[in-house]
Amino acid sequence: MTTLHGEIPGAHGSHGGHDHHDGSYLDRKGGMVSTIIDWATTIDHKKIGVMYLVAVLTMFFIGGIAAMLIRYELFQPVRIQTVGEMAGKATGTDLATLFGQKDMSVAQADNIYNRVMTLHGAVMVFMFIVPGIPASLGNFLLPLMLGAKDVAFPRLNLASWYVYVFGSIFGILAIVMGGVDTGWTFYTPYSSSHADPGHWRVVFMILAAFILGFSSIFTGLNFIVTVHKLRAPGLGWFDLPLFVWAMYSTSIIQVLATPVIGITLLLLVFERLFHVGIFDPALGGDPVLFQHFFWFYSHPVVYVMILPGMGIISECIAVHSRKQIFGYKAIAFSSLSIAAISFLVWGHHLFTSEGELAATIFSALTFLVAIPTAVKVFNWIGTLYKGSIQINTPMLYTLFFLFTFSIGGLTGLPLGALATDLHLHDSYFVVAHFHYVMMGGTVIAFLAGIHHWWPKMFGRMYNERWSMFACVLVFIGFNTTFFTQFFLGTRGMPRRYASYPDEFQTLHQISSIGAAILLIGFLVHLAVLVGSLFAGKKAPANPWGGLTFEWEADSPPTTHNFHHEPIAKHGPYAFDDVVPPHCDPKDYPLADPLPPGAKAH
Amino acid sequence: MNPITTTLADGFWHWLWFGSPAKSSSAVARIGDELFMYTFWLSVAWFVFLMGLTFYFVVKYQRRPGKKLTRSPAHNTPLEIAWTVVPTVFLVYIFFKGFWGYADAIVAPANAEVINLKAQKWAWRMTYPNGAESPESMRFVYTDAQGNQVTSAQEAPIFVVPAGKPVQLRMSSMDVIHSFWVPDFRSKFDIFPNRYTSYWFQADEPGDHVVYCAEYCGDLHSEMYAIIRVLPEPEYRAKINSWAIPWGDGLAAVGKVLYTTKGCSACHSVDGSRNTGPTWKGIWGKEHEMEGGGKAVVDPNYIRESILVPGAKIVKGYPNQMVSYQGQLNDRELDALIAYIESLGDNPPGPGAGYGESAESN
Ligand code: HEM
Ligand SMILES: [Cu+2]
Repeated sequence: MTTLHGEIPGAHGSHGGHDHHDGSYLDRKGGMVSTIIDWATTIDHKKIGVMYLVAVLTMFFIGGIAAMLIRYELFQPVRIQTVGEMAGKATGTDLATLFGQKDMSVAQADNIYNRVMTLHGAVMVFMFIVPGIPASLGNFLLPLMLGAKDVAFPRLNLASWYVYVFGSIFGILAIVMGGVDTGWTFYTPYSSSHADPGHWRVVFMILAAFILGFSSIFTGLNFIVTVHKLRAPGLGWFDLPLFVWAMYSTSIIQVLATPVIGITLLLLVFERLFHVGIFDPALGGDPVLFQHFFWFYSHPVVYVMILPGMGIISECIAVHSRKQIFGYKAIAFSSLSIAAISFLVWGHHLFTSEGELAATIFSALTFLVAIPTAVKVFNWIGTLYKGSIQINTPMLYTLFFLFTFSIGGLTGLPLGALATDLHLHDSYFVVAHFHYVMMGGTVIAFLAGIHHWWPKMFGRMYNERWSMFACVLVFIGFNTTFFTQFFLGTRGMPRRYASYPDEFQTLHQISSIGAAILLIGFLVHLAVLVGSLFAGKKAPANPWGGLTFEWEADSPPTTHNFHHEPIAKHGPYAFDDVVPPHCDPKDYPLADPLPPGAKAH
Repeated sequence: MNPITTTLADGFWHWLWFGSPAKSSSAVARIGDELFMYTFWLSVAWFVFLMGLTFYFVVKYQRRPGKKLTRSPAHNTPLEIAWTVVPTVFLVYIFFKGFWGYADAIVAPANAEVINLKAQKWAWRMTYPNGAESPESMRFVYTDAQGNQVTSAQEAPIFVVPAGKPVQLRMSSMDVIHSFWVPDFRSKFDIFPNRYTSYWFQADEPGDHVVYCAEYCGDLHSEMYAIIRVLPEPEYRAKINSWAIPWGDGLAAVGKVLYTTKGCSACHSVDGSRNTGPTWKGIWGKEHEMEGGGKAVVDPNYIRESILVPGAKIVKGYPNQMVSYQGQLNDRELDALIAYIESLGDNPPGPGAGYGESAESN
């Protein structure tokens, strides 16, 4: 096995003076002010990971409030009530009332909904789910899993956090200035010539997405170099934990695709500010060009959203069922092939706007990408076979993921087939589908990951019963909210609608009730996790019996991660033959030894 | 048609998903529903199998204290090939079915009745082969929980089409991208400001079908409805002939027709109620306060300018949302609209004085 491993930059020089080498990375350095300065200037990947975790979860919270407002408005259709001789009075414009506006025209009331809907989409996509897992868990875990002391470019890592915050400030500014009603997809010519003409807020929202792209590129570059250069001695490519493979594939997509959206968004800003005709036909441009550019980025980015989640699921399912991952190489290669094919399917977002030949080709390619995705699901289920399965919060979330992600994947089939997509495109069926994938996939995997590595990150155990209870609430809430939306879509409810004909009301109300349950589930989680920081039992170094390097480190890890540089002596999932580090062999009985001469797989 | 797929596109499960059978005999509607139900049952079978297996494994292989691990192979090539190839076969089938249905949906028959469709923020307009446009519209009416009669927020124009005959829409947009979706016909297509796109269907039974705009287009996107009313062909012909513009009845009467057919009614009321744009009731001869100070008298020149250059003077409290009708209305039609607004004024129409200076009066 060949091993590359280089100097670990930033590990010595900058901390040379301190004698905290063996203290936890969470130890406070002096008073309040110096602690804040210490965090704000840290180049420790773990602290940066934690800061990202706080930042992206804050964004998730903001996006979540918008989601609740959306569901609140959709509880009732908007109607005109005929009152005697009077022409009428609008009812059901709940958001407008919530914002203290009683007598609004329907157009003004809808306008508020459209802004909340855009806010929800833009925050969730650009500020939460794209950076989400890689920047928080990825930053924290990637060096640990590689047995390294830090990422390859620690300062770039800190810079990416500041760029992220800077970009988010632009986004928040756009919201504070009155919000944007373009939808998170910024389709032209609406976004370039029609939405809020003359206002800066649309430009600010676009710039926010543009700037956030840089933070993704920084993180992506950093991870690629780190995986290539900083693997511990003995750690070959096929000894990498699958989470690392997932991060690696994700990073490649981010580095390759993000510049495309960056340029596209800049062109959009030029068109808005200087009336350069690129996308608006009134100025001599082509509106569909924008859609091609936009999805050339945004489709691969769908896999930026989901691949990290798949990585987490691979770790959780192996550790909590103490089983070698079934078809390790198939999973690793399917990550890479998904990354590659993802660049070729953008046109399936344009079946109702592009030419026939393009639609046919993109439909075929779309089915192609379904195959490696399906293979992954089979591999995970295969891993459970003859395992030793422990049901706890991370495992419950893993099973939850298998359930919802399968539904998300299967409902992609009628969207990929041309005849059915003509009906389903831009309907609530799509809304349900992408929530099953993004939320039922990525967010659920994120929750599995947060619970799996929480003891490692913060050195505390959470209350298992309460968090399993919260998981069940989230499961019920999620499916109630979004399964109904499949029926809404097939029955004819278009997306991005502030009001709707009465026949859709019952399904919308069920969906809104589900969202309330979901909210309660999340709040219970938050309480349990925050509570654990104050009242949780101290976590052992290896609470689940994992074999990857992060479990060799202390919980929480020391500033420099490991007391000794770890050396890879076994595969990441050799549960049959290796007692996990820091664990009692009594608790982790191994398989019978192989007869001499037999080959271990 | 194959009996199994026909059964699929019928009955309880089909009702659960779609509410009602497809109302268009264009092949896409039929193939689409059959393909959807086929994919649905395939997915159910697949999903139940996978989740059943997962559940079985989870129960059977629960961790028990002190129990040794059991070795099992880390991969199995024949199995892995099988679970790659078998789904691929199903996917190829779904792809081809989808392609055939799509081909039918996209290519309109040569004998189709061609009708022009214009979309704009936030109204639809159809122009029939004889140049007529629909002046009819309706609101959806419901009875709410308290037993009150309530109506939808927006008026939907009623477009008539012939039954049992293919209809092709030649669609274009006056401003942003819209999308023409009739759920009953199971198909939609986008409408662009810089090109024509096509949509076709053939509805065999008389009846009403709701049109939605499926591409987000701004404030009133969610009120952008229309009704497609399928009529027997003779009735259809009679209807569009009766809609031909009534030039013989005087300018105000023509203006009244244009008010609905040209989409003015989407934003301007004629009964004084508030909408996206100012009402037309009683404004004739009155002064409007303008955005950024100044006043303007509503007279023929002011109206003409507001129609052709909507951004020139903006009434206070009504941010400009209107597109220019330059090129959409000829002079005769402008005269008619002006006469109609005059007829809605508080004073009976009479000779006006000194139009010349008031256009510059602010
Ligand atoms: C609390 C749970 C959530 C609820 C109740 C919820 C609900 C909704 C609803 C009702 C819409 C509007 C659909 C429409 O009118 O087109 C929507 C749109 C959207 N949601 Fe969520 N959502 C939730 C979580 C998420 C998460 C976690 C993500 C991503 C990670 C997400 C991403 C999006 C996106 C991208 C849109 C599209 C916005 C647009 O059309 O511009 N949502 N959501
Ligand atoms: Cu529209």
